[in-house]
Amino acid sequence: MNGLASMELGSAPPSGAWVRFLRSYGPTPNNLNLFDEYITGALNRAKVSPITLSSPQLDKIVAHVNSGAPGSLLIAGTAGDGKTYHCRGLWSALGGTAAGWADASVVKELILSDGRVAVFVKDLSELRDEQSDEALMMLERSTLDGDDSKIMVIAANHGQMLERLRDLGLRQGREHPLRKPLQDAFLLAGDSPGRLALFDLSRIAHRDSLIEVVRAVSEHKEWDNCSSCPLQANGRVCPISENRRRLLGVDGENAFVRRLGDLVDIARLNGWHLPVRDLLALASNMILGHPLAKEGLMACTDVARIQADEAGELASIYGNVFGANLPSRRAMERPVFKALASFGIGEESSSGADGLLVYGHDDFKLAESFARLVASDPVYGATPGYLSALQRYLEGEESARLESETDEFMTRLESQRRRLFFTLPDGEPFYPFWEMTAFRFGGDYLETIRALTERKAVSESVRSKLVRGLNRVMTGLLIENTDNIFVASSGGFTQSRVSVLCDTEAPAKRDRGVGMMVRLDKQTDRAALDIALAAGPGNSIVFTLSPIRFEFLCRVAMGALPGSFSNECLEDMLAFKAKLLRKAEMLRDLRPEGEDDEIGFEDNSIKLRFIEIEQHGLGFSRPVTVRVSA
Amino acid sequence: MRKKISNVDFAVDEHIWGHRLYDEQLPHLTVLEFLGVLGSNTNAPLAGPSDQIRYRPQRQIRLRGLLFNNPFVESIRERQVSDEEKWREWTERFSEDSTKLGDQDMGYLRDVFASFDDFAKAIELLRSSAFEARSNKRWSSKFVFPFGPDALYEDLRIDAKGGVSNDRRFFARTGELLYLMLSRASRGPELGAKLVERLFDPSKTMNRLVRAMQGEAQLVEGAREIGPLPYERHPRFDRMCDDWLAILSRDMPVYDALEHLIANAGLNLLLYFLECAKTVAGDADPVEIVCEIVAQRTKVRALSGDSYHANQALSVRAIRAEVESVKLDPRWDSAMQSGNPQGECLDLMREMFQWPTNDKDDEEYLNLPGEELVSKLIEKAESRHEQHVGKIHSTWSKSIGLSSRRLARRNRYAPNDRLLKTLVITIVDGRMQFDEFLSEAKKRYGIVIGDVEGARLVLNKKVDQEALSDNVRNLETRLVGLGLVRRLSDSCSFVENPFGSKGEE
Repeated sequence: MNGLASMELGSAPPSGAWVRFLRSYGPTPNNLNLFDEYITGALNRAKVSPITLSSPQLDKIVAHVNSGAPGSLLIAGTAGDGKTYHCRGLWSALGGTAAGWADASVVKELILSDGRVAVFVKDLSELRDEQSDEALMMLERSTLDGDDSKIMVIAANHGQMLERLRDLGLRQGREHPLRKPLQDAFLLAGDSPGRLALFDLSRIAHRDSLIEVVRAVSEHKEWDNCSSCPLQANGRVCPISENRRRLLGVDGENAFVRRLGDLVDIARLNGWHLPVRDLLALASNMILGHPLAKEGLMACTDVARIQADEAGELASIYGNVFGANLPSRRAMERPVFKALASFGIGEESSSGADGLLVYGHDDFKLAESFARLVASDPVYGATPGYLSALQRYLEGEESARLESETDEFMTRLESQRRRLFFTLPDGEPFYPFWEMTAFRFGGDYLETIRALTERKAVSESVRSKLVRGLNRVMTGLLIENTDNIFVASSGGFTQSRVSVLCDTEAPAKRDRGVGMMVRLDKQTDRAALDIALAAGPGNSIVFTLSPIRFEFLCRVAMGALPGSFSNECLEDMLAFKAKLLRKAEMLRDLRPEGEDDEIGFEDNSIKLRFIEIEQHGLGFSRPVTVRVSA
Repeated sequence: MRKKISNVDFAVDEHIWGHRLYDEQLPHLTVLEFLGVLGSNTNAPLAGPSDQIRYRPQRQIRLRGLLFNNPFVESIRERQVSDEEKWREWTERFSEDSTKLGDQDMGYLRDVFASFDDFAKAIELLRSSAFEARSNKRWSSKFVFPFGPDALYEDLRIDAKGGVSNDRRFFARTGELLYLMLSRASRGPELGAKLVERLFDPSKTMNRLVRAMQGEAQLVEGAREIGPLPYERHPRFDRMCDDWLAILSRDMPVYDALEHLIANAGLNLLLYFLECAKTVAGDADPVEIVCEIVAQRTKVRALSGDSYHANQALSVRAIRAEVESVKLDPRWDSAMQSGNPQGECLDLMREMFQWPTNDKDDEEYLNLPGEELVSKLIEKAESRHEQHVGKIHSTWSKSIGLSSRRLARRNRYAPNDRLLKTLVITIVDGRMQFDEFLSEAKKRYGIVIGDVEGARLVLNKKVDQEALSDNVRNLETRLVGLGLVRRLSDSCSFVENPFGSKGEE
C-alpha cells in the first residue's frame, strides 16, 4: 500500500469487513466459507449479516417429513450443492438443537413430534463400513419392507451412495435391491425406489440459482456502508463498487446477468453441473477479481493503490466472470470457470466486431457505433490505456511490431471482446453477440427450447439448418436438401466416410406419422430430433440435441466446421445413423412379402437408389435397377 | 494318441495352438475364412461333432475379377461414346485379363444392368466397402464386404497361366480354428443360428447385387476337413462366443456389428494364443495386458511396454517347454533304460512330434541320441516359430488397435478408439458404472488400466498408484470424447453403450 492512499484515508474503508467476508467466498485456494461447517464462525468474526439464499428444496424436504409420509429420504448432490446445509436445515426445522448438530457424532437421532425417530447421516462418506451397512440396511427396511420405526435422512454424493450399496450387496452376496433403481433415478431414467424420497440437489435449475446468488450478493445491505467511502468520492472509481453496480443492473433490468444466465443454461444443457458453492465463488470473483491483488481478489485496502496505479480497468467484471484475474490453472480447477471457458469468449470473434474495436475509433463510418458501444464506457471500454495501445498498434510504431507489444494489444482486444459480448444490445444488427462465442447458434438453441416449451413451432430456418446438417452427415456429401432426410449407407460399415446409397427417405416434417419432428425431451430439458421411418409407435429413433450437437449440425449446414470441434459429436451422429439404418432394416424384415411392389418385380430385380447431386447442390436419389435371376 | 497333421515338417506349435494360427491372416481375414466354413454348414451351424465338419469354399472368380481385376471400367465409363460401344470395349479389355476360369463369357451382365453406367456405379459401390480395395495386395487376395452367402470366397493364388491354388497365404486355417472354437463353446449352436439368420440371408439387397454380378456360385471341387484344434473345451471359447452373442444383440445393423465381431475375435484369439503359451510353459498366472491410455506425459508407458514385451516372449518359451515335455513322459525314462534307447526315443519323438520323418531331409537326425534329438527339434521349432507364429502377438495386437508405437520408441499396449469402442459395445449391456467396466475388462481380457486392477503392480512397486489413477482419468476423458461415458457428478460416471437397450438418455 503506498503512502499517499493511507494519508488520504486515515481510517479503514467502511465496508472492509464485509468485503473480506465476501472475499473468502471467492476462488482462493482454501475458500473455507464455502463449507457449511465453517460459516457460523466466520460470520461471528466478521460481524456482518450472512448471505442468505432461499432454498426451495429445503422447504420441500421439510414439508415432506412434516406430511408424515412413510419411508426415508436421500439428499443427493455433488460437492458444493449444499447437502450438509440442507441436512442441517431439516435438523433445525424438526426441532434439533445447534449443539446437537455440532457434536462429533456422525449418526444423529431426533425424536419427531409424531413419535417417529429420524436418523441423520449428514455425510455417508464419514461412516465406517459397518456403520454405513447398518444405515443402509435400515434404509432398505424403511423403504422396501414397510418398517416404520425409523426414518433415515442420508446425505451423500451419487457415486458414494451407489458404491456403498454395491459393496454392501457384494458382502451379502446379492445385488442390492436399491442400487439399480437408484442409479436409474439419478440418471433420470426411472423413479426412486419404493418409499424412498429422493432430493437431488444437482438437478436444480441453474439460471434461477445464478440469479438468486447474484442478487443475494449484489443487493446485500452491507454495501450501504460504501456510500460514505472516500475511495469512490470525488470522481474516483472504486472497481469493487463499479463491478457491483454492473451486477445490480439498472431498474431491475440487467442484460449482464441475463446473458450470463444464457451461458449458464447452455452449459447446463451441455452437461455441466454448477454447484451453488461455485456460483457463490463466481459472484465473489466477478466483483472482487483483479489480477494484481493478493490471490487475484481485491480487498478494500487494495483499492487506493489500484487507483493510484490507474490499474482499475484490470478489474473488469467481464474478464473476472471468466476467471481472467486468476492463474489459469487455478481457474480451471473450478467447474464454473471451465464451463464458461468452453464458450471461448474473448478468443472467438466476428470480423465485424473486431473491425469495430480496432478501426472504430478512427473510421468515421464506424464512429457512431464506436461511440455508442465502446467509448460510452470509460471504465472498461475505451479507456485511455486501450486507446493508446490501439494507437501504437495501428500506427505501427517500431516497438508495437515486437511480439511482446502485439501480445499486450491482443490481451486488451480479448478483454474488449468479452466486454462486447455482455454489453451489445439485443438485436444489434451488425454485431450479433452470439458470434462472439464458440456457440454461434446458441441463441437459436435457446430460442428453439423456448418455442418447444411454449408449444410453438420451431423456426423454419433452424429446422432447415438441422436438416441440411443431418443430410450432410448422413451422406458425407455436400448436399443442400432441407425437405427430406436421406438415411444413407455405403453398403458396408456405417462409419464409411461417404454413403451414396439411399436406404430410406423421410420427410423433414412429420406428416401422417412419418418423418422428423423436433420436440422437447422432458427428462433432459433438451431439444430432440425424433425421426419416424414408419407410422406407429416404436418406429422412430430419437436423438437428443445438446447445444453442442445443435451447434455441430448448424455449422455443418453452413459448410464450415472448425477443427477444434470434438470428435464426440460426429461419433454420436454416426451412432444415430446406425440406429436409423437398423430400424430401417427391421422395418423391411417386418414387411409382408411383395407388399407395395408390383407383383413379380421384387423377385426379378432389385432397385438401388444412388444419391446424386444436381446443379444447385440438391441431392436426389436416382434408381438403378439390377435384374437378378430368381 | 495325437492327431496326425499333414503337410508339416514337424508338429510343435500345432499341439499348443492347433493347426494353425498364422500371423498374416489378420482378424478380418480370419473372420472371412470362418464365414466360408459357416456357409457350408448352415444346416447345423457351429454344432455337431467337430471331426465331421467339412466345407467347400466358394471361389467366385467372376465376382472378384469384376471388382479387383477390372481397372478399365472407370475410364471407359467416362468416354463420350455410345453405351453399346462402352460394353464392346470393356468386354474386349476384360477378356484379355480374364483367368479363363469361368469368366470367359460375361455377356450376361448386359441383361443385368440397363446401362454401362449403372454397371460402373455398382462396381464403384462394391469397391467402396471392400476390404483393402486400395492395398497393393494381389487382386485375388482382395475381398468384397461379406454382404451375404454369395459374397464369400476363399483366398487364392492365380498365376498368369491361369493356374489356381489355395496357397494358404492369407487363409491359413485360422478361420477354421475359429469355427472349431466357437462350435465347442457351450452356446455355439445358439450363436451359429444367430449368425446364419443375420448374415446369410440371401434376399438382402447387397447380397442380391453381388449374386447378380457373380451368377451361379463357383465352388471348390471337393469338401475339406478343418483344423485340428487340440482343446475340446477352453474358457476362452466360451468367452468369445458370449461376446459375439452380446455384440449381435446390440441395436445396430449387422454390417456394423461385423466390425466389432472382427476386433473381438482378434482380441480373444490373441488371448487364446497367450494363454495356451502360458499353460504349456507352466506359468499359472493369468495373462495381463497393462494398457497405457495415451496422453502427453504418463508413467504407465514404460510399464505397458514391459507388459507387451513379456507377453511377446511367452510363445517361444512355450515351444521349448512343449518339446522338452517329452522328457517328462514316463515312456522317455523307459526308453532311456531300454536296450535300444536311441531307437525308442526316436519312436517316441515321432509319435509326439511327427519328427524326424523318413524323408531324405531328416536322414541326418535318425542316428542322433535322444537328448540331441530334443535340442535339435527345439532349434528347428524355434526357428520355424519365429517366421510366422511367433509374430502373431505383434501383428494381431497392432491390427486390432491394441498396441502402438505412438509417442514411443518401442511397442506397448495403448488401445485406440476403435478397440475401446468395441470393448464398450461388447461389455456394456445398457450402462455400467465406470469402475465396474474397468473390473470387467480385467476379468474378461486381463486388461489392466486402473489402480484397482493393477493393485499387484502397485504393491510390487512397479508403478505408483497415482499414475494408474491418472491413466483411468485419461480413459474417462477419451470415452467421453467418444460419446461412451456420461458423468453424473465429480464422483460418478457411467459407461454407456449407445446401441444398448437403454443407450440414449
